[in-house]
Amino acid sequence: MVKEIVLHPDDIRAKGKLKFKDIELNAYDTPFEKAAKRFPKADLVRMHRDMAILREFETMLDRIKKEGRYEGIEYSHKGPAHLSIGQESLSVGQAYTLTTDDCSFGSHRSHSEILSRGLRSIAQLDEPKLMDIMKNYMGGLTLSRVEKDARGGVRELADDFFIYGTLAEIFARETGWHKGLGGSMHAFFPPFGVYPNNAIVGGSGDISVGAALYKRVNRKPGIVVANIGDASLGCGPVWEGICFATMEQCRTLWDKGFNGGLPLIFNFVNNLYGMGGQPNGETMGLKVLARLGAGVNPEQMHAERVDGFRPLAVIDAYERKRRILEEGKGPVLLDTITYRFSGHSPSDAMSYRTKEELDEWLAEDAIPAFADKLVKAGIAAREEIEANLALAKELVFKAFTKAIDPKASPYLDPAKDPIIENVMFSNNRKLVLDDRKPEVTIPLADNPQIQRLAKKSRFGLDENGKQLSGMKTVVYKEAVFEAIIDRFYEDPTLCAWGEENRDWGGAFAVYRGMTESIPYHRLFNSPISEGAIVGAGVGYALSGGRAIVEIMYCDFLGRSGDEVFNQMSKWQSMSAGVLEMPLVLRVSVGAKYGAQHSQDWTSVCAHVPGLKVVFPATPYDAKGMMYTALAGTDPVVFFESQRLYDTPELFEKDGVPAGRYEIPFGEPALRRPGKDLTICTIGATLYRALAAAKILEEKYGVSAEVWDLRSLNPLNYEPIIESVRKTGNVLLSSDACERGSYLHTVASNITALAFDHLDAPVAVVGSKNWITPAPEQEDSFFPQDFWIVDAVHQRIRPLPGHQAQCNWTDGEMYRINRKGV
Amino acid sequence: MATAVQMPKQGNTVEECLLVEWRVKEGDSVKKGDILCAIETDKASFEVESTADGAVLKLLAQAGDLVPVLTDIAIIGVAGEKVDAAAAPAAGKPAEAPSPARAGAKPAKPAAAAASQAKDGAPVSPRARKLAEKLGVDASAIPGSGINGRVTSRDVQSAVDSGAAKRATPLARAEMKEKNLAPAAATGIGGVVRARDLAEKRAGTARPTASAAAAKAPEVVPYKGIRKLIGDRMHASLMDHAQLTLNSGADATAMMALRKMIKEHGEAMGLPRITLNDMVAWVAARTLPDFPEVNAVFDKKAATLTKYGQVQLGMAIDTPRGLMVPVIADAHTLSLAEMSVVIARYAEDCRKGSINPDLLTGGTFTITNLGNLGVETFTPVLNSPQVAILGVCAIKDTPVKTPDGFRFQPRMGLSLTIDHQVVDGAPGARFLQAVAKGIETIDASLALLGAF
Repeated sequence: MVKEIVLHPDDIRAKGKLKFKDIELNAYDTPFEKAAKRFPKADLVRMHRDMAILREFETMLDRIKKEGRYEGIEYSHKGPAHLSIGQESLSVGQAYTLTTDDCSFGSHRSHSEILSRGLRSIAQLDEPKLMDIMKNYMGGLTLSRVEKDARGGVRELADDFFIYGTLAEIFARETGWHKGLGGSMHAFFPPFGVYPNNAIVGGSGDISVGAALYKRVNRKPGIVVANIGDASLGCGPVWEGICFATMEQCRTLWDKGFNGGLPLIFNFVNNLYGMGGQPNGETMGLKVLARLGAGVNPEQMHAERVDGFRPLAVIDAYERKRRILEEGKGPVLLDTITYRFSGHSPSDAMSYRTKEELDEWLAEDAIPAFADKLVKAGIAAREEIEANLALAKELVFKAFTKAIDPKASPYLDPAKDPIIENVMFSNNRKLVLDDRKPEVTIPLADNPQIQRLAKKSRFGLDENGKQLSGMKTVVYKEAVFEAIIDRFYEDPTLCAWGEENRDWGGAFAVYRGMTESIPYHRLFNSPISEGAIVGAGVGYALSGGRAIVEIMYCDFLGRSGDEVFNQMSKWQSMSAGVLEMPLVLRVSVGAKYGAQHSQDWTSVCAHVPGLKVVFPATPYDAKGMMYTALAGTDPVVFFESQRLYDTPELFEKDGVPAGRYEIPFGEPALRRPGKDLTICTIGATLYRALAAAKILEEKYGVSAEVWDLRSLNPLNYEPIIESVRKTGNVLLSSDACERGSYLHTVASNITALAFDHLDAPVAVVGSKNWITPAPEQEDSFFPQDFWIVDAVHQRIRPLPGHQAQCNWTDGEMYRINRKGV
Repeated sequence: MATAVQMPKQGNTVEECLLVEWRVKEGDSVKKGDILCAIETDKASFEVESTADGAVLKLLAQAGDLVPVLTDIAIIGVAGEKVDAAAAPAAGKPAEAPSPARAGAKPAKPAAAAASQAKDGAPVSPRARKLAEKLGVDASAIPGSGINGRVTSRDVQSAVDSGAAKRATPLARAEMKEKNLAPAAATGIGGVVRARDLAEKRAGTARPTASAAAAKAPEVVPYKGIRKLIGDRMHASLMDHAQLTLNSGADATAMMALRKMIKEHGEAMGLPRITLNDMVAWVAARTLPDFPEVNAVFDKKAATLTKYGQVQLGMAIDTPRGLMVPVIADAHTLSLAEMSVVIARYAEDCRKGSINPDLLTGGTFTITNLGNLGVETFTPVLNSPQVAILGVCAIKDTPVKTPDGFRFQPRMGLSLTIDHQVVDGAPGARFLQAVAKGIETIDASLALLGAF
């Protein structure tokens, strides 16, 4: 694939032994008194204070969930609470070394990580900056709830602000970090470098890779930490994220200045359990998680096991690993040992561990142990320790009473307030996401593909109406190329990756010629990790960059299911609009390659809220809609059709414009006017529907109007309904399998909106509910022109003298549904 | 689960309705759409349909009760189902917060429902049903060309175009369907079959024998409901007003020529079927602004006469339930074609019983027409508290003197009743004269206005 790297059989086939370096386990052995010397006393006391606050915070939630009261005050919290009691020392140690330039991502059990990073940032930032952040976050709404009864100065106010804001979010209150739309498992606070915590196990495993990629290629300061559980190592996206993050090309092939290993620490918060399963000894075979690093790259990911019960050991590890990242030798894998004293969740009866085991770990509880060391070393008086514990109670109690007060902390009412509706999409238009000059290797005009296209006709028919060869006219895939390369020269943050994206130009040559213009760090081949391809795109986009990623065949969407359905689609709304998601996912609908390479899964994507889903069917639309996708701030699933890649423009008489233009999403396009029947299509079926319309007109005198929906979501029904009011009959067709097809959603909406104008029920012509057979048999699987004519004859209006080849009768509908096919 | 049927809300101003009579009794089984009872407002009478299939478990109001709108009046459910439990939640919710569906519920439309059912025949597409309703034909009687013989809008249109489907009033359609009758004539506006056209046929075909006729017992009709309302009003009108009727006539030559022209060419010009009555109404509405003393309302209690510059024109309509007078708002601003369309629609709604009761109030002047029944002159009764009503009478060929002898002129009789308490004979006569002139020169007026 890469000509620079020649693979010699002599090397590959040579006899030898693979050697591994030792992996350190809990190597830190500096005595506390000695280690403590390099820290200011106040910092050490504050570490204890912060651990105490974390413990009290989680204890409060534990009481609320289990007893329905805290400090005598009753409250019922309906939502989840995955507590991190016992894990505080790890969080506080880690947070000590991080700054607001560093991004940390987390899991469903991240309250301690959020709070520790918040409290540490409050200590680090100067007061005007802190005030600024508090005043500007959500228009100062959260601040307004804590300002009146603040304890003292700005930092004290910020403590109240942060504890209250986090708790209000957990309690789903409007004054929380995301107006309560994120909740316990998704709370975060970007101004302090706290990025999405993820309720999907291992969800941060590949998203964090995108954030690190963003820092690397856009030369932004700071490192990225992915706090994920030990058991998440069993999840594909985590492994994919590790593979993606350790791609050797970053260090060897990318241009100087943009190269180097990704500044990323996979911090496995190893609390020894995955819910009730035990990776160590039961559900996995690693025994020691850090072992994994040895299997990934020659650096063994600089893996080691760190004793998370000792905050100073954690600090030591992070300081050492940060240097490795800064030298461009990342990423790093840490196996940080901790133990959760609380259950997985309130419903956990802890049937999987003994009381004796729990007691042994409780005896190691880091908070009293750290306090004792502080006292023993003469760093803190016992009174100071007691004062920390009392302060923790006071702060948590104050935040608690405020967060449950319905007046100070109301719930949003989505039924009355359109807030959720308004944050499903950001709907912004931003052409550039950074102000620097985009890195390219040659002027656009010198690009060989641009020069090739300049010689081609822009319209697909000659003056006699004869279709031109794809060699002579701009075709679909080239139209897509034109939009993307142009945007590469405009938006410096735009990056593209996917399988074979570089020299090959993508499996279908859409990127032919792109490599000549775009440097490696902006256009590269990814590992075959569809999950991480999309997941990294999510992390890259929510960090502030624009990414266009590709997963080749639509059928591979299954491999990136979580990233598309839970991540890409959700973070704008779960953040209540704090984040934008300028991510375009290119998906190519196949044909000819059988059951696992020829499926149209547009319906699946359209079903999931939070995605814009489009499927242009003409070169003109492909280019204009790609421009729209790459100018917006929303996640777009951009479907393309392999049947259409070589199709020229046949509708726009002036052809595909050479310059820029945007086609708004959601507006269907009229492809052929008619008066007796409305046919709407999604994707490549358009051309078969047009052929059917021709037959209907010429043989049966039925005048069919053909509309290309172009977008699945959003979709403006008005022009379609107007057409139906005129014709009274509707047929819908696409290559998606009929059962559960989005066409049925369209059919149902048309029926609701135009019931009194219908002369027949809406007919849906999709692919069979089968596997896709071999190309020789595809005519019996994908909708064909004669299927459409037959469906008109049997479901809408008998065509005199017509001999049907397909069966569209009621009886057949009953039969295939009874059979489930 | 039992369903409660509510007293529907009839228009914006109606707060309660009189339950005239139940058509079902407890224990009857009913289908959704079946008529449960007849109700009346102070303006019109309606029927209430069942909103569910099942047995009538309980009737919650008695005939003669005044029932607030949106109150439950009957419970429909499974025979034997316990009513109290079922009725409780249904009765609990409606009064203060009727659901949007309920609040917007249309009054019963028996004729329309009959047309749309077509359950024993072929299916009718929604579009065909809508078109049939608009054109006034029974879609279920038209052969369908769609899938499974479904009647489509194309079928309806071509049946009307070819004359195979007779356009008929909703009442006539309901009767044709119910009693399997064919129309003997089409005497309605624009050749629409009316119920009376079926009656003629019935008389012609059934020919009751003398003995059957003799055996028919005298029918005792209670004086109640809308009949009583009309009657009491008429009586009150005669007691409250000093009624004086002035009789006159107008040369209808221009008007008849116009009607002939519209009959022949109107459709091509995109005009509705315009009747003589529409023309008189149009002339009267155009004339009234110049005679505010007859376009007025007399309040004897307050001792005031309110004269209006705008014309809210009442139009007396003969319906199977009795006389109804819908009011055409700002009639003086309407074109002749607009006037014609409004009158036809209101008349249809009155006959169907679906007229919005809000349209039955607020008139400043009324027209009543007995001309098509051959009446040559009569004494219209004032529509109190208005002070004038114009009766339109039949057109008779009348000899008039000409320089060389005489000729017959079609003359329309006009009978104007005024309230002599507030309008004297001479002003009334001047108004009548102006109307007559307007009728005689209608072609010139229309030409002057430049449009229909």
